[in-house]
Amino acid sequence: MNPSTLALLLIVVPVGSAALTASFLRKKHALATLLSVLVATFYLGGALHLALGGARFESSYSWLKLANLSVDLGFKFDDLAALMLSIVGIVGFCVHIFSLGYMKEDPAKARYFAGLSIFMASMTGIVFADNLFMMFIFWELVGFSSFVLINHWHEQNGPMNASKKAFITNRVGDFGFLIGIILCYYLRGTVNLSELSAQAKAGGAVLSTAVPLLLFCGAVGKSAQLPLQVWLPDAMEGPTPVSALIHAATMVAAGIYMLCRIEVLMVPEALTVISWVGALTAVYAALCAIIQRDIKKVLAYSTLSQLGYMVTAFGLGSLTVHSESGAEIVIKAGVGAAMFHLTTHAFFKALLFLGSGSVIHGCHHEQDIFKMGGLSKTMKVTFLKFTIGVAAISGFPLLAGFFSKDAILFLAYSNNKAIFVILALTAAMTAFYMIRMWIIVFFGKARSDNAAHAHEGGFIFQAPLAILAILAIVGGYRGLYPHGFDGILNLVAEAEGPAKLGMLVVSLIVLSLGAGIAFALYRSVATLTQRDPLEAKFPKLFVSLVHLKESFDSLYSYYVEKVQQRFAMLLNFFDLLGIAGLLRIGAGAFSLLGFGVRALHVGRLNVYLYWFFFGVVLLWLYAAGIF
Amino acid sequence: MVNLMFIIFAGVTVLGALGAILNRNTVNAAMSLLVCLAGVAGLFIQLDAFLLAFLLILVYAGAVVALFLFIIMLLDVKGSLGGLNRSMGTVATLVAVALMIAGVAAFLRHANLPSVETPMSVGVGSSLKAYAELLFTTYLLPVEVVGFLLLSAMLGVIALSRKLS
Amino acid sequence: MIQSSLFAYIGLSAVLFAIGFIGVLIRRNAIVIFMSLELMLIASTLALVAFSKYNQTMDGNVFVFFILTVAAAEVAVGLAIVVALFRQKQTIQVSELDSLKH
Repeated sequence: MNPSTLALLLIVVPVGSAALTASFLRKKHALATLLSVLVATFYLGGALHLALGGARFESSYSWLKLANLSVDLGFKFDDLAALMLSIVGIVGFCVHIFSLGYMKEDPAKARYFAGLSIFMASMTGIVFADNLFMMFIFWELVGFSSFVLINHWHEQNGPMNASKKAFITNRVGDFGFLIGIILCYYLRGTVNLSELSAQAKAGGAVLSTAVPLLLFCGAVGKSAQLPLQVWLPDAMEGPTPVSALIHAATMVAAGIYMLCRIEVLMVPEALTVISWVGALTAVYAALCAIIQRDIKKVLAYSTLSQLGYMVTAFGLGSLTVHSESGAEIVIKAGVGAAMFHLTTHAFFKALLFLGSGSVIHGCHHEQDIFKMGGLSKTMKVTFLKFTIGVAAISGFPLLAGFFSKDAILFLAYSNNKAIFVILALTAAMTAFYMIRMWIIVFFGKARSDNAAHAHEGGFIFQAPLAILAILAIVGGYRGLYPHGFDGILNLVAEAEGPAKLGMLVVSLIVLSLGAGIAFALYRSVATLTQRDPLEAKFPKLFVSLVHLKESFDSLYSYYVEKVQQRFAMLLNFFDLLGIAGLLRIGAGAFSLLGFGVRALHVGRLNVYLYWFFFGVVLLWLYAAGIF
Repeated sequence: MVNLMFIIFAGVTVLGALGAILNRNTVNAAMSLLVCLAGVAGLFIQLDAFLLAFLLILVYAGAVVALFLFIIMLLDVKGSLGGLNRSMGTVATLVAVALMIAGVAAFLRHANLPSVETPMSVGVGSSLKAYAELLFTTYLLPVEVVGFLLLSAMLGVIALSRKLS
Repeated sequence: MIQSSLFAYIGLSAVLFAIGFIGVLIRRNAIVIFMSLELMLIASTLALVAFSKYNQTMDGNVFVFFILTVAAAEVAVGLAIVVALFRQKQTIQVSELDSLKH
């Protein structure tokens, strides 16, 4: 089959499945589930076939032509897209299988699976997009599917508010994104990615700082960077598999993917801004994660932190390295490091989320970690896989996260020492809070009835976890990746010589620092109550971290209540006065006319004659030539 | 004798007309109308329309005004000693009168009617034969139509004066 | 006999018409209003005959026939209506006949 046809099918088939489910299969849950899982399997097969089969192509259909502007829908399938597609395919498949077990008793399964299908299709659209307009269209679609999925349990207030918050925050970022696209079109004459990179190679293209920064706004919204990070922790109101797929592995990574796509538009000032935004996000999220009680919120903040890593990596730009032949070349190490970390993060974060899903399911939908405990004995298999995930994210040597984080730290060390220090500190904090969570959930004795009676899920739960665990272990070895991804993975800069040793030492130091503090604070885990020892021992620190977490939310709600609402009321007043007023004036004029005409009907003969006479006089005057 | 007959008859006519509209007593008003008709008949004679003059007296004065008087006597309502219509308002009335006069004057000025007294031959309308010639040749259709009109008027009156049982 | 000018006759006709119209305007009694209406018709006959004499034709005179007939028919029907109205409303003052008032 023609590769571009297969690519088109990868978008159309999930959309078709979602449409079919939404129209006909709303109540037939089993059928809808089967359809969706089949589609996911087809998707995985198709994605891997395209990515590993070596097909790389570009094609496009002209969709809208307005004078000089032509909005096309096209595919740009290069190594970057291949890598992203494979991630989406693998993680999507695992999540679909996991959902079979997790959502078994849910009354609205069909709607859930339709949402998953729509998401797969929209994400594929972003991956394949060859111009910024098309990317924007599917960007919005992904936001929509995220809204639908977060809002799955829409009878409750929490999911409703969270989905609205997610959508609106994304919208704010997308506004900047759209302006950036328009500005790019205005300055460069095209939004097609290949044409843009051709322009950049040929040189002489108009470079502006505004365009990349505005386009970055879209990434700030979608990938939840400061200051638009407020929606991601709340998005945990959705079902856990959704959190795994969308808010860990793929949708939030779309921002990073987009940044890598528009790398040709970057200027040094923009890159500096981007890297600092990423670094600050990483630190902020790590600080907030330290005090969380909900297992999913810890993972959400850790996602935020890792996304900050990826954005920082991208922003750190390029590096001069020695190629195989010994010559010095400049490679886009930022893109390489960001995408590499994105890949490994997708694997271990999905593993962690699905593992937490297994834990939550096992503890009968209990999500507070201080009510769990002792699960290492009651849920052995999940414990094993979860441990792999925790080790990977903390940067335990030889696992996936170690290599990708190393690459980022090396890049930071080479280009910006201040950011290097921040990132290293964040790595230490990452190790701290992940190990904290690991200890509290799995060790000690069970702190509630639910945890005491925890049980493993079946094969349906364990199979996806196994796949992702394996990938989390081997994902760090770039040599093991198929050559189809060389275009990207070769961009990852590796330290050499003394620098290599230095990086290793730094990684180990931060890991042991974080883990050590965690073990020290929580060593008396057997006697843990439902109160956080951190809160007990360092109350002031605890309270200040809580305030840090809530600061953004309270700022935004202040703004919305006091500023935006008042402005909206003012506009409402003007609308009533002006527009409705204009209409009423028109209507009033007519009713006045009607009133006047009605007043003539007095029912008295003489008055009628008077008016008649008046007309005759007018005619006379006309005949007399006065008019 | 210069225009004396004209002036006399014209004066009679105008006075009669004014009396007809201004008289409080309805019967008096009808009588004034009669006087007015007499004046107009005189004017017709001066215009050599002798047949018409007599027809006027016969039909108008004899039938129409008689009918008026008949109905006035029939509807003997006390309050119908019609006063002037107050609901029109004095101002409106005055305005109407003024406009009337102005209209007439303007019309007359523009009419280019010869004001010189022209001696004319004896009017054509003095013989009955002339009427008959026109009525039964050129104006035959209007005659028929008018006959029809009279028929429908008669039917209408009969229908109107039926008491609903 | 010395004839009067056409202007005089037409002027007189116009004055009669005006008087009749004013009568229609200012009187309250329906029957008097009818009489003023008749006055207007008389004025028009006068004008017709005067013009006919001036133009040396018969048409104006013949037309008076028709006017006369129409006037008679109109009076008959009108008064029949007045009588019927009187039976209903017990009044012929037009100021009290205002059922069509909004």
